[in-house]
Amino acid sequence: MRTALILLLVVAVAAVFGSLVPQANTAPAAVESLYREHPLQAAIYETLGLFDVYGSWWFTLAYVLLLVSLVSCLIPRTRGTLRGLRRRPPAQGVQELETLKHFAEGVVPGGAEDALDRSRRVLRRRRFRVAREDGVLAADKGRAREAGSLLFHWSFLLLLVGVIYGKGFGFTGRATVIEGGTWAETHASYDLPPAEGRFFSESMHRAFRVRVLEFDADYHPNGVPRGFVSRVEILEGNRVVRAGRVEVNEPLEYEGVKMYQLGYGWAPVIEVRRDGRLLASGPSVFVTDDPSDLSRPWRGVVKLPSLRPQVGLELRLLPDPRASLTGSPMLEARDPFLFFQAYRGNLRLTAAQSVFRLDRRGLERWEGGGIALGETARLPGGVEISFPELREYTQFQVKRDPGLGLILASAIAMLLGLLPALYSSRRRLWVRAVPDGARTRLQVGGFALQRRSAFDEEFRRLVRELVR
Amino acid sequence: VSDVGLTTFSNLAFGVALVLYLVAMVGYFHHLAFRRRPVLVAARAFAFAGLGVHAASVVARGLAAGRVPWGNLYEYVSMVGLLVVAVYLLVVERMRRTEAAGGFALGVAVLAMAGATLLYTPPGPLVPALNSYWLRIHVVAAMLGSALFTLGTIFTVLYLFQTRRERRTVPEPARVPALVGAGAQAGPAQGSDLPEDLAEAEPEEGVSQRRGRLPPAAVLDRTAYRTIAFAFPIWTFAVIAGAIWAEEAWGRYWGWDPKEVWSFVTWVTYAGYLHARATVGWRGTRAAILAIVGFVALVFNIVVVNLVISGLHSYAGVQ
Repeated sequence: MRTALILLLVVAVAAVFGSLVPQANTAPAAVESLYREHPLQAAIYETLGLFDVYGSWWFTLAYVLLLVSLVSCLIPRTRGTLRGLRRRPPAQGVQELETLKHFAEGVVPGGAEDALDRSRRVLRRRRFRVAREDGVLAADKGRAREAGSLLFHWSFLLLLVGVIYGKGFGFTGRATVIEGGTWAETHASYDLPPAEGRFFSESMHRAFRVRVLEFDADYHPNGVPRGFVSRVEILEGNRVVRAGRVEVNEPLEYEGVKMYQLGYGWAPVIEVRRDGRLLASGPSVFVTDDPSDLSRPWRGVVKLPSLRPQVGLELRLLPDPRASLTGSPMLEARDPFLFFQAYRGNLRLTAAQSVFRLDRRGLERWEGGGIALGETARLPGGVEISFPELREYTQFQVKRDPGLGLILASAIAMLLGLLPALYSSRRRLWVRAVPDGARTRLQVGGFALQRRSAFDEEFRRLVRELVR
Repeated sequence: VSDVGLTTFSNLAFGVALVLYLVAMVGYFHHLAFRRRPVLVAARAFAFAGLGVHAASVVARGLAAGRVPWGNLYEYVSMVGLLVVAVYLLVVERMRRTEAAGGFALGVAVLAMAGATLLYTPPGPLVPALNSYWLRIHVVAAMLGSALFTLGTIFTVLYLFQTRRERRTVPEPARVPALVGAGAQAGPAQGSDLPEDLAEAEPEEGVSQRRGRLPPAAVLDRTAYRTIAFAFPIWTFAVIAGAIWAEEAWGRYWGWDPKEVWSFVTWVTYAGYLHARATVGWRGTRAAILAIVGFVALVFNIVVVNLVISGLHSYAGVQ
């Protein structure tokens, strides 16, 4: 057990590093800046796996060793406990009853047999386990302590099994859906390829569709957000099977797949025409560089590869230009305004690139300007840009974790085991009947392994009942 | 949308409670040093008065904000201080006569409240992520667990102090427990087969005079153990409830967020303490040091994780 104890502390110390060193998966920007400013330190951290502590070989090693040590402790303990359940309380130690921590004697009327029968009833009523062996009762109580402790530890193991099972057969991904749009739960339609477990295959996605009817962000007058809600419909084929809401703290679950309200943003509908012919139309997703400062414009890009030379538009959206002027956050759309800067040349679309940026290496600056909602800007060469509508988009975290039920059940079992493991105490008691003429002398001895001060009182009460 | 009157009252009551606690603390320490019964009675009265005023401050704060009064760090720290005093006065002091710890319990509350004034945030609404019934369940368990661990730490520190003192005055053999009948144990002596309080053997008479004014080390140790053993399931529950909430709010039950890391470290360290008490060679001083390390992790989680390290749990409300 000492080994397990030390390993437990090693895991704790190891976990600490992950909270002090920025982690690549949760704080990539901090990791990058460390690389820029202290390359040597960053290289050392990288070698030691400190940028991904919880996935590093040494963290894994520490907890695998802990598990091995835990199991090797638990198996013999469990076997011992099961054997002890069948065995009757041992009558050993009875020779030196008088030397036990607690000892009392008294005289009761009647024969030894009767006295022992009566004592056995008293002890049984007090929920002691009683065995009788030539003139002696051996009793014990408090096996819940060991049983609870075993339940706690086995449940802890089971919880880890649940974690591994859930991760292996589950996935997590992000999905962006514009109001009025529909998104299908398939591998390819996630924003980035979803993180899928080792045993999860792409074909295990449920392929139901989600239509976002409306997104609504609600704020207190002082600008503190009150709530974010997406109203959605779930479709199987073309049939609506479910209508519901996705809210912060209230995910929507369908077929084991949970959708969480993660983010939102603006998606202006932008139409580009040349000589009256529609080249591009539809809402495009705009992003903000700093979600904590909503007074700054949202940015987006429209790429027009069909024009010769190719044209790319860099756009800046002010949902509420007046709020922006005073530096206040733009929380809702009031006379939205769209700035654009057009570039001409080669978009270099043959190389992979972000949908939110232009690769300006093959481009030169062309025209720029701004349009309010419902307006159209005319560029040389018969190109027209219009801004007929402003919508919002919503962003979901989508995940499946089949281990959740097992994890929750084990966590509850852990708590249930913890209570007797900490609060019950093991007590042993022997009653010896010595014939004394027509009467019987009862000798009672016992001890408690835990909570001894409480046993003082219990023993006194028991003796009073036994020797009445 | 906060009621100005209620806010003013809450802040005023907070200050009054702080002063009352301070007076009570001085009284308890005076009693510890000079054993004047009336001083203890007065100190207790001040402590109870402080508790009442503090509770009124918290209630007014909740009414002013129109929500439960534990939505940011100021409120959290204030609540933990309140719970430390409440549990001490209403439970610990009643169950065990340990007035010696009173000054320390109040001292912790005074420190917590003084710290809270530095973190003062006007009452306001909650951000959506906090707006869940889990705020009641998870945070209440975390606050109660923290308060109980704090009290456990006070007794642990007093135990360490007292055990050194006793070691200097009591010859070693007097502390060997009389565990007759231990031969009756079946199987290997491991795990919870071992008694939790071997050091419980009563010290010899005559030693008590030289022991100083604190309760015997064995009593302090037992009280520390009981308090921590009471806190541990509550903390376990707080972590589990937090995981359930995280699953609802963030879509994952565990993500090694700094807050999660440090509550895990706290949990593991106290689990280590509970095991250490049943492990030969770890019992006593080493176990006590583990309990103190657990408390350091707890305080780190409240202070440093909230104010220095940023994570998903950035609800301190401090700019």
